Amino acid sequence: MEPAEVEFLAEKELVTIAAQFSLDRIHLIGGDLGPFNPGLPVEVPVWLAINLKQRQKCRLIPPEWMDVGKLEEIRDQERKEDTFTPMPSPYYMELTKLLLNYASDNIPRADEIRTLVKDTWDTRMAKLRLSADSFVRQQEVHAKVDNLTLMEINTTRTFLTQALDHMYKLRTNLQPGESSHSQDF
Amino acid sequence: MFVSDCRREFYDLIVTQRVLLLVASDVDALCACKILQALFQCDHVQYTLVPVSGWQELETAFLEHKDQIKLLVKQDDDLDVPAYDDIFRDEEDEEEDSENESDGSEPSEKRRRFEEEVIERTMKRRQRREWEARRREILFDYEQYEYHGTSSAMVMFDLAWIMSKDLNDMLWWAIVGLTDQWVQDKITQMKYVTDIGILQRHVSRHNHRNEDEENSLSIDCMRIAFEYDLRLALYQHWSLYESLCNTSYTSASFKLWSVQGQKRLQEFLADMGLPLKQVKQKFNSMDMSLKENLREMIEESANKFGMKDLRVQTFSIHFGFKNKFSASDIVYATTSLMENVEKEGPETTNFIKALDSLSRGNLDKLHQGLDLAKKQLRAIQQTVASCICTNLVISQGPFLYCSLMEGTPDVKLFSKPVSLCLLSKYLLKSFVCSTKNKRCKLLPLVMAAPMDVEQGTVIMVGIPPETESSDKKNFFGRAFEKAAESTNSRTLHNHFEMSIIELKTEDRSKFLDALIALLS
Repeated sequence: MEPAEVEFLAEKELVTIAAQFSLDRIHLIGGDLGPFNPGLPVEVPVWLAINLKQRQKCRLIPPEWMDVGKLEEIRDQERKEDTFTPMPSPYYMELTKLLLNYASDNIPRADEIRTLVKDTWDTRMAKLRLSADSFVRQQEVHAKVDNLTLMEINTTRTFLTQALDHMYKLRTNLQPGESSHSQDF
Repeated sequence: MFVSDCRREFYDLIVTQRVLLLVASDVDALCACKILQALFQCDHVQYTLVPVSGWQELETAFLEHKDQIKLLVKQDDDLDVPAYDDIFRDEEDEEEDSENESDGSEPSEKRRRFEEEVIERTMKRRQRREWEARRREILFDYEQYEYHGTSSAMVMFDLAWIMSKDLNDMLWWAIVGLTDQWVQDKITQMKYVTDIGILQRHVSRHNHRNEDEENSLSIDCMRIAFEYDLRLALYQHWSLYESLCNTSYTSASFKLWSVQGQKRLQEFLADMGLPLKQVKQKFNSMDMSLKENLREMIEESANKFGMKDLRVQTFSIHFGFKNKFSASDIVYATTSLMENVEKEGPETTNFIKALDSLSRGNLDKLHQGLDLAKKQLRAIQQTVASCICTNLVISQGPFLYCSLMEGTPDVKLFSKPVSLCLLSKYLLKSFVCSTKNKRCKLLPLVMAAPMDVEQGTVIMVGIPPETESSDKKNFFGRAFEKAAESTNSRTLHNHFEMSIIELKTEDRSKFLDALIALLS
């Protein structure tokens, strides 16, 4: 999977905006989107929010977890624990990137938020690398990891599966006899 | 078409149609075009963009797209348009011979009525003749002088503001459009200061959040700041020394083409306590201690040396950690990109490149433009210095005349109208400072430069005289036309500014003689 595909999936998440135009309920394939009234908050998917923002037809309201205090707590929690802690949103990285790229003027203290999210991401990636390393080294057959988001899984997916494949092939070739029929891999 | 209410009579009409956008080759027009493009993108309006550099191209583009629904022309607009009724007169029904069948009316009455009608008709005819004479006078006054009104970028920004769709980006383009008018000396100082006041209100409205420390914006957001900045061209992207040498105001005041002038410059720097080594470095690498009070120090010393207007009110833009530009920087960069003589591809690439460089994402084009602008300014200064030292500026009676020879270095740069105009203005300023002849100081200047060697054409520009309180009205447009007519010279009055024409080299001398005769 490409990171762009993961971002595409993330754009379905709902976010709050304050519209600057009025429109009745619209019926889309994915569901209904509520009536739009100027100044009143309404929930829409991220793809629509970004489009409206670019056309200057709305003002984005940052999600409640996108706040310096909360993100600091999350980052410290992540650093303390050895395992992965639950994240405020399964698409926290993509949402941060999208909202801060297109609507940073609606989000207070945007630079600090970007730094905090990046710190959390770095810590989690380090843990992921460590656990993948120990997985391969100890030649485990299966492992269970909680609280990983799709973007993080996507970064190691290709490497991990291919590495384990290779390990498996090497292992089966070591055992003599019926399990290996071919010398080439 | 004259429009008084931008929104209702103009924007609301075109927003539902497909639009053809014809844009002149002028930084002000480019800025107005960018604002309009941003508005069109918000409202999903389909448009075609065609750059035009003269009346002929305008006609060809119009004929090509004749079946397009709406036509939009971007240009400088003129103020003081005379009242509609003074110029156009709806065709009134001509007096028809009233064929009243008045059967049986007495002949004397009929004759009396007939006489009255004759008298009425002569009165009307006389009124009409007077009206036409007045109309000719008004039109002559209107078309005799050429001058510039409000910047079209500012007009477009007004439109966006009325529709509440104005953004900081659009405000910046309006600022650049106004600064372009000031750099090219097209508007009076009073108008410039008034327009700066108008824009400053918008700037404080959009950028007041920068002072609030708690909720300050991300560093990547664009910020505009009002500055009472130095008038030195490109000084933040160059070294202070180069900038002092290549800005027309300082170079003319110091008379830097002479040895004495160079000495005065050294004295000036010594007076401020700036070591030569520091001043010749890139501005960003100068010592912080020297840069701190630079503006005030320079202003003080400049006052001592007779330069009272070294600081000017302007705006600067700031985004990211590295990027800080002043409005005049952008104007110089965009002009030199648009008039780049190195041909790279079809005709319109320069236009498109210049248009792109106005967006914040295309910093590499902007930096390329800044480099070209430095080359252009240096070339202008050197040409001005050589013209003055070799006394190439001669007085022809009613005007001064200067002609660039073909072998002059960098003469290719001056085959473009805006560069040639800049050169002529700088030359006139320097000449006024260098000459002792009081009468010559009040004369306008006509400048000629070779345009196309194979076709043997020359580009000629006329600029009004350099006085303290000039109203920047330029009468050379009409004068050139009349002179060309009377001598049957092969001229091309193609440019939107009537005071810039192309001429065959062979016809030059007789054209000039006719011009002298006309203006004396």
